[in-house]
Amino acid sequence: MNTVFTVLKKELTDTLRDKRTLLSAIILPAIVIPLLIFGVTKLQKSLMDKAGEKPLRIALIGVPATYQNTFNDSKYKLQQNLTVATGKDAIQKDSLDAVVEFQPDFLTKVNDMKSGEVKLYFKSTNLLLYSRIAEKLDSLKAELLKGRIQQLKISEQALTPLVISKQDIASPKEQIGKLVGGFLPYIFILFCFIGCMYPAIDLITGEKEKGTMETLLTVPASRFKILVGKIIAISLVGLCAATMTILGMVTALKLLPDIPKEFLGVLNDMLSLKFVAMLYCMLIPLSIFFAGMLSAMVISAKSFKEAQSMVTPMTFVIIIPAILATIPGIELNWQTSFIPVLNIALATKEIIAGTINIWQYAVVVISLIVLALVTAFFSYKQFSKESMVLK
Amino acid sequence: MIDVQNVSKQYQLSNKQKKELQTNDTSVFAVNKVSLTCQPGRVFSLLGANGAGKTTTLRMISTILKPTEGDIIVGGESILNNPEKVRSKIGFLTGSTNLYDRLTPGEIVKYFADLHGMDKQKFEHRKQLLFDQLNINDFAKKRISQLSTGMKQKVSIARSMIHDPAIVIFDEPTSGLDVITAHSIIELIKQCRQEGKTIIFSSHIMSEVDLLCDDLAIISKGKLIYNNTMTNFRNEFSHQSLTEAFIEIVNTSTNAAIVHQA
Repeated sequence: MNTVFTVLKKELTDTLRDKRTLLSAIILPAIVIPLLIFGVTKLQKSLMDKAGEKPLRIALIGVPATYQNTFNDSKYKLQQNLTVATGKDAIQKDSLDAVVEFQPDFLTKVNDMKSGEVKLYFKSTNLLLYSRIAEKLDSLKAELLKGRIQQLKISEQALTPLVISKQDIASPKEQIGKLVGGFLPYIFILFCFIGCMYPAIDLITGEKEKGTMETLLTVPASRFKILVGKIIAISLVGLCAATMTILGMVTALKLLPDIPKEFLGVLNDMLSLKFVAMLYCMLIPLSIFFAGMLSAMVISAKSFKEAQSMVTPMTFVIIIPAILATIPGIELNWQTSFIPVLNIALATKEIIAGTINIWQYAVVVISLIVLALVTAFFSYKQFSKESMVLK
Repeated sequence: MIDVQNVSKQYQLSNKQKKELQTNDTSVFAVNKVSLTCQPGRVFSLLGANGAGKTTTLRMISTILKPTEGDIIVGGESILNNPEKVRSKIGFLTGSTNLYDRLTPGEIVKYFADLHGMDKQKFEHRKQLLFDQLNINDFAKKRISQLSTGMKQKVSIARSMIHDPAIVIFDEPTSGLDVITAHSIIELIKQCRQEGKTIIFSSHIMSEVDLLCDDLAIISKGKLIYNNTMTNFRNEFSHQSLTEAFIEIVNTSTNAAIVHQA
């Protein structure tokens, strides 16, 4: 055990002095992720506000005199003397936002209790435009409908034979957990993997490339213990990266203005002892699994560059199951609880939603532990080969 | 003592390697049935051209590589049966100054002392002794990346000698070093001999071999082609320099090997 601890202590000291490891395991998840969330949300909000306040330049064509005042509002700048063709051209050139064309038979049709057509020309890339114009046209539609109801002397209820009254019995926690709970594991799994990547390359291939591996193998310690020390160090860095990501995200989300009260409650639950304990029971074997897998892969590489080109594509292999977990409809069940990475992502989602099946959770934890041991053993087999550890 | 007993190291060749070497052989011998003995209190020098099998032999003695045939007894322990015990008795130093760039000399020496299971008191005593002797104290707290090649090699020596090994293996210890650092290593080897340690070293620098060597072996293409005491060697090749004699021995060796055994 002393050897394992000695190797672990040295590897942690060494690796935490490496700028690349510090960047990928601490700085990026702890600072950049919160800044991104905070910054992007702020930016999005300010853009939306700006887009909502900006007066829309629209051309009304063929509008009946009765409805001339529909767009008389400071939020709209009406452009005169335009045809559909010149209006479309102006939209292309960004000197106009939309053309609202009332068909020539609009008034006749409306008066005949038929549907009058209004054509809307616009660019879908123009943020919020459709909803802002539709808002006005919808109120016109409601006004026309109200007139017809009065004219026909029927009640509004006669035209609404069915009213759906939604009674959602899912708690806010469950709703939020199922909707956005998949995003959190996607990020922390990715950072846990990236966190393991650089130390694995540095402590295994780097040592081989520099030639320090040769001298390390002349000490009276078994290769198994040396490797165990290295794998623990690599997985601790991965675990640290995952922790920093979770803390960074939770902190950033809590600091966001206008965050719904229910969402805040879910975030507070995520800092509870139960959530943390359940999460770490999965995260620890996951990071050992990543460390074992990466170690086994990079042992055969002769240089840092070669190792990097070997493990970088693995990021995509890890991301795919994590992305799958964000898709609605993919749930934790007896089958998915055995699929590595996907299982931890789905289980985290269920834990956040408070709907985790404890037996399925146990299967996830046990399968991750088995996988961690298998990859660590495979890594040891590779590490025992002379051709692998020497340049 | 080091007793190398009929040791071979054979490597299987991949198809790619066969093409590169232009051979149909499925395997190649890096070391072929080599036997030699290094005595305590004597410096044994292993000579040979590049790729002759010197480093492979030294790596087998230090248990980094396992022989495919034969055994090596190091300090009374077999490298096949008790590799960890063998490793506790040896100090291994190569000329490539392999150290951890982000650690300090003090941290590196402590790491290796801990791996050798040294107690704190003995470690402090040995560290002080080696750091004083090698003038490491001035840069003991600087990171390795900030040190010169000579400084790094001094730290490598301290790392290999911290546990006071009875057997010391030097693989081209002075290659690429300045005269002053190379001299300090030669002085260290002399001191090790005085202390009764068993020393085996490989070198391409004939003046060092001439200066230090008590026993000498020459390896060519994996085979031992010469093994004798330095005194006998000097008598045998009295009319030639060491370099000339070495070249003559290597050139006249055949596949059958001309082995001069002491």
